[in-house]
Amino acid sequence: MTEIVRIENLKKSFGELAVLTGIDMTVDAGETVVLLGSSGSGKSTLLRCVNFMEIPTEGQVFIHGERVGDQRNGKMHYRERDLSALRTRIGMVFQHFNLFPHMTVLQNVMEGQVTVLKRARGEAEDKARSQLDRVGLADKADEYPARLSGGQKQRVAIARALAMDPDVMLFDEVTSALDPELVGEVLKTMRQLAEDGMTMIVVTHELGFAYHVANRVLFLNEGKIFEQGEPHQVLKAPSTTRMREFLEGHSLFKLPD
Amino acid sequence: MQHSWDFATIIENWPVLWVGLKGTVFIFLVTVIFGLGGGLVVGMGRYSRGRLLRWPATVFVEVFRNTPVLVQIIWFYYAFPILTGIEVDPFLAAVLGISLNTMAFSAEIYRAGIQSIDPGQWEAGKAIGMSYGQTLRRIILPVAIKRILPALTNRGIEVFKMSTLASVVAYVETLNQAKLIADLNFNPIEAYTAVAVIFFVVLYPVVQATYVLERMMSRSD
Repeated sequence: MTEIVRIENLKKSFGELAVLTGIDMTVDAGETVVLLGSSGSGKSTLLRCVNFMEIPTEGQVFIHGERVGDQRNGKMHYRERDLSALRTRIGMVFQHFNLFPHMTVLQNVMEGQVTVLKRARGEAEDKARSQLDRVGLADKADEYPARLSGGQKQRVAIARALAMDPDVMLFDEVTSALDPELVGEVLKTMRQLAEDGMTMIVVTHELGFAYHVANRVLFLNEGKIFEQGEPHQVLKAPSTTRMREFLEGHSLFKLPD
Repeated sequence: MQHSWDFATIIENWPVLWVGLKGTVFIFLVTVIFGLGGGLVVGMGRYSRGRLLRWPATVFVEVFRNTPVLVQIIWFYYAFPILTGIEVDPFLAAVLGISLNTMAFSAEIYRAGIQSIDPGQWEAGKAIGMSYGQTLRRIILPVAIKRILPALTNRGIEVFKMSTLASVVAYVETLNQAKLIADLNFNPIEAYTAVAVIFFVVLYPVVQATYVLERMMSRSD
């Protein structure tokens, strides 16, 4: 298996608050890894450390086996230019979509390709249209984001990230801001991506998605990976009390099977 | 007291006023470009997280926002040359006073505009590999400027009217020329009325145009 992301002893503190207290994980090509955990467990922070939206306080991140940053006097140093280049290879989708409101859907999906990757406009447009087609929104290319539903916005955001040809996609609670009836279309798009072989790290509360799509589930608790394994094992037969409590909290109001 | 209006000498001296109006437009263009352009730079400094940029920008804004433009023009014309030995002509003194004041005011407008943009927009730009500058130019400013356009055009209109302050150091602009006509023909009432009329005639269509522009801009939201 080709390793895409490796994280070694990653720690992150915000001032006095230690959010991540030592994370080791590896994500291989084509894998879908779901991060679970209650709020404040550090799962979003971990995700944001992968593409350095947050700079880790300690530890190292390797993308394709290549260490990010330079080590000097035992401390990691990161150059903004290197991080920008790295981020072009790591797609990220946010809870609140963050589409560019002054651009059409097509322009949103072309923007990074043209401004950052310096692709020719024609090439970028073809790429954008094919990615919009992939998320089922080819007919919305000329609309402005304000005229789309939440689910459509999120699929445009996915297309925008895909258009950069990323090695790995990061999903940060991408269905949490959606109306319940719009969650499905976004999850379906993500499932299709996973089936196409995209490498994905997904922070979500959707246990069904974790169960059906993930290759591996990591449960974060108090800044550490508390439990991990294949979804049917971790979600059906958790080995820790904390994980059991977390799952019970989630399924408290589920309809009986 | 009954005043019998007589605009004959004003019309006779129209070329004198015309020279003044050209001077007004010229100093307006120079100060509005420096003022609104420089204001963006100072505003970015004010927004900056680095103290090295933020503090000087803050001092600049506070100094020039809290001192009268008229005093600044006079100071640059009379005091600055004595203190530094650098000659300052009326045009330069007026440009400095009006531009620096406009920079200070517009810097605050830009800063507020940029701060009003959802931080998620910065994140989205960053996440597709954009640099700070690229995100600012492509993502943040187009939306921010649209949002602050009414405030900026207001500033521009203020700058146009502020240009009359340049007359205090005898820069050749409309008010200065009217004073000349008034002194020679003893008709200050008509001369200064003419100045007011000229400003109204120039500005009114411009202000109406900005309303149309704003309506057009808000429609694409």
